[in-house]
Amino acid sequence: MLDPSFIVAQLPAVLGAAAVTAWIWAASAILGVAGGVGIALARRFGPRPVDLALKFSIEMVRGSPFLVQLFLLYYGGPYVGLSLDPVPAGLLALTVYGAAYYSEIIRGGFAAVPPGHVEAAACLGFTHAQTLLRVEIPEVAAVVLPALVNMTILLLKETAVLSVITVPELTMAISAIGSESYRFVEALFLLALFYWGLVEGCGVLGRFAEARLARFGVAAP
Amino acid sequence: MTKRLFLKAAFGLTLLGIASGTARADDALARVRATGTLKVGTETAFAPFDFIDAGQHVGLNVDLFEALGKDMGLKIQWVALPWEGVLPGLQAGKFDVVAGPVTITKARMERYRFLPPIADATDALLKRPNEADLAKPADISGKTVGAGKASSQLAQLQDYAKTLGQPVTIREYVGNTDAYADLAAGRIAAVANSYTNIAYVAKQRPDTFAVVEPPFGPKSYFGYLIPKAPESATLADALSAGIVKMKADGRLAALQKKWFGAASDTPDAVTAPEL
Amino acid sequence: MNPALFRLLVEATGYTVALSAVSIVAGLAVGLAVATAMLSRRRALSMPARAFVSFFRGVPLLVQLLLIYNLLPSVGIDLPGIVAAAIGLTLCTAAYQAETLRGGFAGVPRGLVEAADMVGLTPVQLFWRIRVPIAVKLTLPSLVSEAIMILKASSLVSVVGVVELTRMAQDLAASTYRPLPIYATAGALYIAVDWGIAGLGHALERRSRWGRA
Repeated sequence: MLDPSFIVAQLPAVLGAAAVTAWIWAASAILGVAGGVGIALARRFGPRPVDLALKFSIEMVRGSPFLVQLFLLYYGGPYVGLSLDPVPAGLLALTVYGAAYYSEIIRGGFAAVPPGHVEAAACLGFTHAQTLLRVEIPEVAAVVLPALVNMTILLLKETAVLSVITVPELTMAISAIGSESYRFVEALFLLALFYWGLVEGCGVLGRFAEARLARFGVAAP
Repeated sequence: MTKRLFLKAAFGLTLLGIASGTARADDALARVRATGTLKVGTETAFAPFDFIDAGQHVGLNVDLFEALGKDMGLKIQWVALPWEGVLPGLQAGKFDVVAGPVTITKARMERYRFLPPIADATDALLKRPNEADLAKPADISGKTVGAGKASSQLAQLQDYAKTLGQPVTIREYVGNTDAYADLAAGRIAAVANSYTNIAYVAKQRPDTFAVVEPPFGPKSYFGYLIPKAPESATLADALSAGIVKMKADGRLAALQKKWFGAASDTPDAVTAPEL
Repeated sequence: MNPALFRLLVEATGYTVALSAVSIVAGLAVGLAVATAMLSRRRALSMPARAFVSFFRGVPLLVQLLLIYNLLPSVGIDLPGIVAAAIGLTLCTAAYQAETLRGGFAGVPRGLVEAADMVGLTPVQLFWRIRVPIAVKLTLPSLVSEAIMILKASSLVSVVGVVELTRMAQDLAASTYRPLPIYATAGALYIAVDWGIAGLGHALERRSRWGRA
């Protein structure tokens, strides 16, 4: 049923598309985590209206499918003067989507830091900034790492939606191979293989990061 | 222990596979007659052939298969999938015939059997109205044009673009609706699709879209398709005879007039497509 | 927006909600079984459970759905689209829920388990009366966000022929050629359902605070 030689022949084209998926995924995950940290800090230390506005925006982004958000940004944007090319539009939408989820995970992580640790740091004469950098952030990182990895995997699945705005990513490339060659089973196999590989790669990075944090004496409580 | 479980499972699956293999070798026409139901796979985002209007599944396909079913004493059961799922679904035996319809090409004829053509599929361009610098198809030279991914109309556009002076940037869309939306949003200058489809689009939203006359592609036709497997041959013959009959007694022309605004001439069979 | 179109979108939301609800509940049951198997000391149980999670988390839901719908017929299992959709969503969410619940089981205090053992609970009672309620309670917030994830992931089941909210929006966009208001409405309907789920989650959390867990 499966024709291995056909699969091998498609690899160069598929690898090119996989590279597009991988870089957009990595960039949106990194920017998304940075944005998530920023949002979490702004909600913690900023004035109340900022907190409420961010809370509302996060609900909107987390509540609706990424496809709908991307569609409205890309096809609706030009009507309000925001005409982005496919790749920048995809990167922006994916980063915002990821940041909304990441910020909630990180906020939950701050809540999990025992108040005693912060008080102990204060007793030892740490400044607020030092407490944040040396005590809270390392502890939060250890607590939220598994959830961040989980979310990053979900973000990868969402990159497939970018085909709707003509980004030549993995799902787009492989389904085109399927419909041009009529070899749908091989196409499904390639799709499964490449996404599974990317997910497992992300899992390995996550475990590496966990081990690094553990070496500095920080581990999830 | 796991190994033995696995072997048992594999053995069971093989048996099932053999059983289903024999079941599927039955003659398709006999099977359809026995159940009294013809299963038709289609996509419901292909107006005027197949679409959802006020919650009702309508279009030329629906009327045509309804009439065909009445002639043959069969009930029609529709299976609506996104287009990328339709041909895999046919291969998996989820339905007997694909509506669509599909542009008849040499490559597709190698893999599938086409029923007699039911409409013209010649490629044409859709633009925004009042675009004076896009008066004829050749004016897309140097512009950006969209088309449906893996469609015959995309292939024709690519061939046509090579004959023009300046390179044409071609964007491939998952669905035609997305391409139309991008045309309305102003990112692309035109969309290539069959004349039948885009004439309908322009008629529905004349404020937003217009047709670039004349069509640019080689003459081509839309048809329904059915597996080439020998067990499907009798069903294909019966359906083909039904369509030819509807052509002869004027019912097909009446449906074309109803859905396209005008009847168009189609041959009884396409043997050597230009594409 | 045209009220007839709006009614169609609301009706399609019914499919989305029903399918998600069935999958979440069935997925919780399968997820519990898989999580228990993952924590088992017997490799014959833990290895397949790990493979299950790796496959269903690693392979896109789209591929899983197409495998169930289009490839199972070749081994004699021909499922209607709606059944294939429910099974695909259930297995996918089960894999994510199993990972979450595994963490929940790890959070059950040892002392509590020992105490229950001392008062003479059988292992089965211990599992159903102590470990499962506490694990579910500990992971309730994650399970609620997983429910919202599945609600949104259900937009993929159109590949097996189920016309849920997203597909209905696409169909209507294709026949009216006015995609923007239709997609915006669909997005608002998803958000409305999410608020319902989140409200339900909060209610459950409040109840479980003074409940038997």
